[in-house]
Amino acid sequence: MQNLYAGLAEIFEIDASDVTADTVLAEHNWDSLAIVSTIALVDEICGELLDGAALAQCVTAADIVALLPQAKAA
Amino acid sequence: MTTATPAAGDRPRRGGYALSGVALRGVVCAVPGAPVPNAVIAETLGDQAVADVVKMIGVETRHWSAPDQTTADLCHTAAQRLLERLDWTPDSVDALIFVTQTPDHPLPASACILHGRLGLATDCQAFDVNLGCSGYVYGLWLAASLIQSGCRRVLLLAGETMSRLVDPSDRGTAVLFGDAGSASAIEHDPDAPLMRFRLGSDGSGANALMVPQGGFRPVDPDRAFTLDPSRLHMDGGEVFTFTLREIPKLVADTLADAGVAGETVDAYLLHQANRFMLRHIGKKIGATEPERLPVNIDRYGNTSSATLPLLLADDMAQRLTSGSETLMLVGFGVGLSWGAVLAKFGPLACAEVISA
Repeated sequence: MQNLYAGLAEIFEIDASDVTADTVLAEHNWDSLAIVSTIALVDEICGELLDGAALAQCVTAADIVALLPQAKAA
Repeated sequence: MTTATPAAGDRPRRGGYALSGVALRGVVCAVPGAPVPNAVIAETLGDQAVADVVKMIGVETRHWSAPDQTTADLCHTAAQRLLERLDWTPDSVDALIFVTQTPDHPLPASACILHGRLGLATDCQAFDVNLGCSGYVYGLWLAASLIQSGCRRVLLLAGETMSRLVDPSDRGTAVLFGDAGSASAIEHDPDAPLMRFRLGSDGSGANALMVPQGGFRPVDPDRAFTLDPSRLHMDGGEVFTFTLREIPKLVADTLADAGVAGETVDAYLLHQANRFMLRHIGKKIGATEPERLPVNIDRYGNTSSATLPLLLADDMAQRLTSGSETLMLVGFGVGLSWGAVLAKFGPLACAEVISA
């Protein structure tokens, strides 16, 4: 989770401490480039390929976490 | 011959093929005009929009053909130089393959027009292949197959004028693509090392890269287009996911066919799709340093089927003209379609990029 938030911070070009579960993606230019970056990020962290369309539906950082395989299993 | 195959039932699983007796002799690429910097595109799209895209795709300059200059023109220039440098007479060529999605006309095949312009013999076959980013590997596979079926010399011409296909208002494609043509000489050589190919397709992803209008199927009247339907539509996320799903597997399977480890490959030449994707795949296949993962998308952009010959004729030119290198060439994209070839290439008689 911390890896994911740190990676998102890099994609959004903001401070890592500013990314939380409540971070609203739309406030950080949640466009196709950001989504592609996030697909690569999640692939790097847990070797899972997320669906671009599902990512596009995400509103907050917590929504992305919910797509991760561990979260689904839990 | 490939392997001993007494009966069709004994053939190994499809997808991987080993071809012997085929040698690549030389590669010449032709790029049109002067490099076009990002500042020119920023005049239309704005500085910020261009900067955002460039940060990810890594294109700094590309070449655009003149309005009256086609892919066939670029490939003709490259082919003439190649024939000269190899001292191949036009009547010694047995086959011409032209890989492009930007032909001169709906018909005849541009390969036939090029056959005439190059003055090839009337017993030389010529045909077009409609493939893009995977096209160079498919072209090499076809050329190698023609050699195995009896041809002695094959000219493989591959290129694209993507600048004619992109919508200038679409920042995703307007910045990414460039124009280039290439010519490669393939010859029968009983002593040539084995070439190992793997080829595949996934037609269920055909919509991810498409020019909806311009063929003979009427455009769906209910479909809402944000871009001109006669221009390229690219679903970047879809293409990226497909690439991450298929390409590391393709590389691993091709290595497994040869029974070798990835470290034995001197360099991976990957289709220059975009810099971010190249770096990510490079990490996954264990090739990160520039000597093992050359990248030239910064200078040429994504030139579709011409990216692999551009790597051979530019970044790898010195290494391939002075010696031989074990390379894996990997193409992937529109179709969706992909292919890889693993072989020892070189020494080449010529590898160069010229202006057209």
